[in-house]
Amino acid sequence: MSCFCLRKGKPAKTNHDQFIMLASETSFTVNEVEALLDLYKKLSSAVIDDGLIHKEELQFALLRNSSKQNLFVDRVFDMFDIKRNGVIEFTEFVRSLSIFHPNASPEKKIEFAFRLFDIRQSGYIGHNELKEMVLATLTESDVTVPDDAVESIVEKTIREADSNGDGKIDGKEWKEYVGKNPSLLKMMTLPYLKDITLAFPSFVLRTQVEHC
Amino acid sequence: MSFSQNDVVVETEPTTPPTPNDTTVLLGKYELRELLGVGASAKVYHATRVTDGKSVAVKAVSKRNVLANGLAENLEREISVTRRLRHHPNIINLLEVLATKTKIYLIMEFAAGGELFQKVADGGRMTEDVARKYFRQLISAVKHCHSAGVYHRDLKLDNLLLDDDGDLQVSDFGLSAVKNQIRPDGLLHTVCGTPAYVAPEILAKKGYNGATVDVWSCGVVLFALTVGFLPFNDYNITVLYRKIYRGQFRCPKWISSELKKLLSRLLDVNPQTRITVDEIMQDPWFNAGGYRFNRVLVEQQEPEWEKSQIKTKMLNAFDLISFSSGLDMSGLFVNSGDPNKVERFVLRQKVERIIEKVEEVAKGTKIRVRRNEKCEGARLEGQDGNLIALVLVYRLTDELVVVEVKSIGKMNCNPNLMSCLMKF
Repeated sequence: MSCFCLRKGKPAKTNHDQFIMLASETSFTVNEVEALLDLYKKLSSAVIDDGLIHKEELQFALLRNSSKQNLFVDRVFDMFDIKRNGVIEFTEFVRSLSIFHPNASPEKKIEFAFRLFDIRQSGYIGHNELKEMVLATLTESDVTVPDDAVESIVEKTIREADSNGDGKIDGKEWKEYVGKNPSLLKMMTLPYLKDITLAFPSFVLRTQVEHC
Repeated sequence: MSFSQNDVVVETEPTTPPTPNDTTVLLGKYELRELLGVGASAKVYHATRVTDGKSVAVKAVSKRNVLANGLAENLEREISVTRRLRHHPNIINLLEVLATKTKIYLIMEFAAGGELFQKVADGGRMTEDVARKYFRQLISAVKHCHSAGVYHRDLKLDNLLLDDDGDLQVSDFGLSAVKNQIRPDGLLHTVCGTPAYVAPEILAKKGYNGATVDVWSCGVVLFALTVGFLPFNDYNITVLYRKIYRGQFRCPKWISSELKKLLSRLLDVNPQTRITVDEIMQDPWFNAGGYRFNRVLVEQQEPEWEKSQIKTKMLNAFDLISFSSGLDMSGLFVNSGDPNKVERFVLRQKVERIIEKVEEVAKGTKIRVRRNEKCEGARLEGQDGNLIALVLVYRLTDELVVVEVKSIGKMNCNPNLMSCLMKF
């Protein structure tokens, strides 16, 4: 069995109990949780081999580079690090990924995306926040767009989404806006999660599932 | 008892198979229906997926058996390989793997049309036209797998199933670790287990090449379909081996001369001179009736054309943000050698001009450009008609556009074209 602890300091819970609990709380089966453990181990040993996902490791996985700062990786990391202790633990990893499951509810996806884009965690997405994200994306792809063009894109988007006219997008407006632009939720669904057992099949020999 | 869904050896033991009772549901996901077959180390069930009622075949393998045969590592590797093979219309897809402490369950697509073997057994030999249809589908599947570096090594009628529409479905590509193993007495058992499909170089224990071995087996299959019995057969296994080794077989006189020629090229005992898959596709019998092989389309997990909405719409700020790879969580699952790549550029250019440019670049290559009607972009297709790249053009402002080039799979093998596209 694997030697790493899922919950440091909390005694008497085996991995298997954890897996059953995670499966009951998420869209995954116990086998899928076991397969995700392999993915987790791979990611969490990429930079610092301590069985926990650090920000550098998320950066490495998403950007193939562990030192490049990226606004969105920072945001994703903060969202996954539910306990806010600077690492993504396995349970956090499974719970967060579960929102990306094709079968997860759209409400959860919408809510997750809103919090992700609410970079100052102010409860709304304002003009400056949106512009900061657009600029971050453009910089990341080494693309230069004249400032007035960026300004007009941001302004136009705010105008489209801001139905109560207060100059910023709140959660309700975001929900309506996504309803009109469903492609915005595409990044919230990972088809890979459907065949995770084929991608990481080594669980079949280690599984603790008693019977089907 | 019917024993469809792949190579399970049906034994005539009087044991009643442990029929699952009506309520057996595997890990809450698949409801077991009837038992389709029992083998030395596996049982195959028909089952339905609880969420949507889809029919699947469940192959239950005893873990002890896999471990005892030292096949654990193979199994893991083969499952990942099989995953890469999916999406060919003539290959049975592995959908999922489930496991308990004692058993491994491979969830596969269900071939509702049963076995091709049964068709020959019931109806006797087929006309050459009918056999040709199946043979083309078989070769298409074989080519697809071989180009991914996967060899079947155990092609035989029993592994060839039919779907609802009567199209061929090859099962067990890449899954030799869970095939029935040679039984403890060392002999291959029962009709399905005869070495009748085995190429001579395997018998010679010389070490062999998976590609040429599969071609030989395809030859045995084609012979069996059109003639109605196996080219090499004998009750005495030593005699059988000798026949295979010498390539002794006889074509009945009703076989057309074109087919005879093809069979002799397929069942050429010398793997060096044996016909190759590419040569088969040039063969006159294979191509009879003006058949063009190049349109066997593989269903790819291709990025959907972003539906109609993109057409005239300009990108909003969030569309733009979602281009960030920091938000593309699929990066967690994909290895660095990922064949699919996305590149984007912002250009001050007219949309129409960009597609024209793509067409200019592709001219003189073997790549075909298909403009997309619904939205602004083009598909780049290889010679076989399969998608190799998508070029999508989005409007950013009145003057600026974002060009997105998604290359799929082997597109990277064509760095020339890629770099031309990059240069815009």
